[in-house]
Amino acid sequence: MDLRFGQVGLLQVRLRQTDPVAILAELSGRIASAPQFFQHTGVCIDLSVLEAIPDELALRAVIDAVRRAGLITVGLSDHAAGLDALAADLGLPVLGGFRQLSRPPERVKAAAKAAAEAAAEAEAAAVLPEAEQPAAPPLVAAQIHTHPVRSGQRVYARDRDLVLTATVGAGAEVMADGCVHVYGTLRGRAMAGVRGDATARLFCQEFRAELVAIAGVFRVFETLPAELAGQPVQAWLDGEDLKFARLGG
Amino acid sequence: MTEIIVVTSGKGGVGKTTTSASLACGLARTGKKVAVIDFDIGLRNLDLIMGCERRVVYDFVNVINGDCSLKQALIKDKRIETLYLLAASQTRDKDALTAEGVRKVLDELIADGFDYILCDSPAGIEKGAHLAMYYADRAVVVVNPEVSSVRDSDRILGLLASKTERAEKGADKVREHLLLTRYSPTRVAAGEMLSIADVKEILGLDVIGVIPESQDVLSASNAGTPVILNEGSDVSEAYGDAVARLLGEERPLRFIDAQKKGFFARVFGG
Repeated sequence: MDLRFGQVGLLQVRLRQTDPVAILAELSGRIASAPQFFQHTGVCIDLSVLEAIPDELALRAVIDAVRRAGLITVGLSDHAAGLDALAADLGLPVLGGFRQLSRPPERVKAAAKAAAEAAAEAEAAAVLPEAEQPAAPPLVAAQIHTHPVRSGQRVYARDRDLVLTATVGAGAEVMADGCVHVYGTLRGRAMAGVRGDATARLFCQEFRAELVAIAGVFRVFETLPAELAGQPVQAWLDGEDLKFARLGG
Repeated sequence: MTEIIVVTSGKGGVGKTTTSASLACGLARTGKKVAVIDFDIGLRNLDLIMGCERRVVYDFVNVINGDCSLKQALIKDKRIETLYLLAASQTRDKDALTAEGVRKVLDELIADGFDYILCDSPAGIEKGAHLAMYYADRAVVVVNPEVSSVRDSDRILGLLASKTERAEKGADKVREHLLLTRYSPTRVAAGEMLSIADVKEILGLDVIGVIPESQDVLSASNAGTPVILNEGSDVSEAYGDAVARLLGEERPLRFIDAQKKGFFARVFGG
């Protein structure tokens, strides 16, 4: 028997609410964009941004919703404190050592098994040395979308950038594994680096977004900052911080 | 060549049925043979607006179910020779509609030589609204100058681009037209209402008509007269313009500027 520590790719689900119906709906929606990628993926539930830690019953309902979405809950994230008793009741471990929701895309794209093997060989090193990064993947052309993205529609560019030449309406969602470029007004939600690329950025011609997320770090705009509203804007991730700036000086 | 036009909006109460009745009358007045179908199964209204509620014997669902022939169910308008109404069923719900059933009725109308078939969509995005737009060649999206109506219209425009037969078969896309109703130039000037430019900018579409807010609409509805037939009123003229634009004519927008108060009104605060 060999006993070794290894690293595996684990999907983190950071809950913003505990309504199982809403969670199932949102997860199913996200998964629909890349069903093979998410099939039977292990999930670590992060309770850190909830106002209060839910009780065992509520969390069981959440875990059930996650299971019905086709994912498997394997632990609770230690981002939230004081979970030991709850985790013990549920028979789940409290998992730690996450660097954050993001990680380089090359490793996320690899199958979980390959990632586990590679990581095991690296003997639980926190970050793979540069030399072990796989060679750069061949160029994938950006996905170009020329029609307006209307409220309720979603566009997802897998493994590539997304270029939109018309507007993104309020209540619409545009997502890409790479960068998102909107050469129109962005009124809806934009998510870049959906599968964890922390170097992905968002660019838009006229910023009126409801929500911007990069590699899982998001910000909602209940009121638009005056210096950004209606301006050409880019957003990028600086560590855990989502930064925004006017484009072109 | 028959054109199927859906009148839709997403949001309720914005003036879909009023618009359907008036556009149908306006098109029929030019001598075109027009059928207008009420898709709001269970909440039948178009017959009231058209003033023929007492002449409804058979309805749309009866035709789909084969209880009667299409000829029996079509109600001929008493004012305009070439205008026909197919009423909704008041006793059924929207599940009574099927895609095949709707297609069958539309095919029969096309074979009958109708020039235009107007589909008056129910509010919402469920089955009734879906089937009303499914076979459309063109769409008139009715929108009020306020944010919730604009957002719902944006949603409907998204569905028109994805959930219609044309979209599913990859044919030419449904031609979309925006019709602004309940537009009040004074309130726009006061900054209380979205302007035409705002709505155009948000939805990225040109408007085919702007119908001013007016008491005439309510009184015409109560009288069972499509408001376009209320000769001389602003609303009637505005709908007339919209019909002309629908037929390809270019006309400048009217009734979109706030009326300047006259001297006496200013002095006496009229």
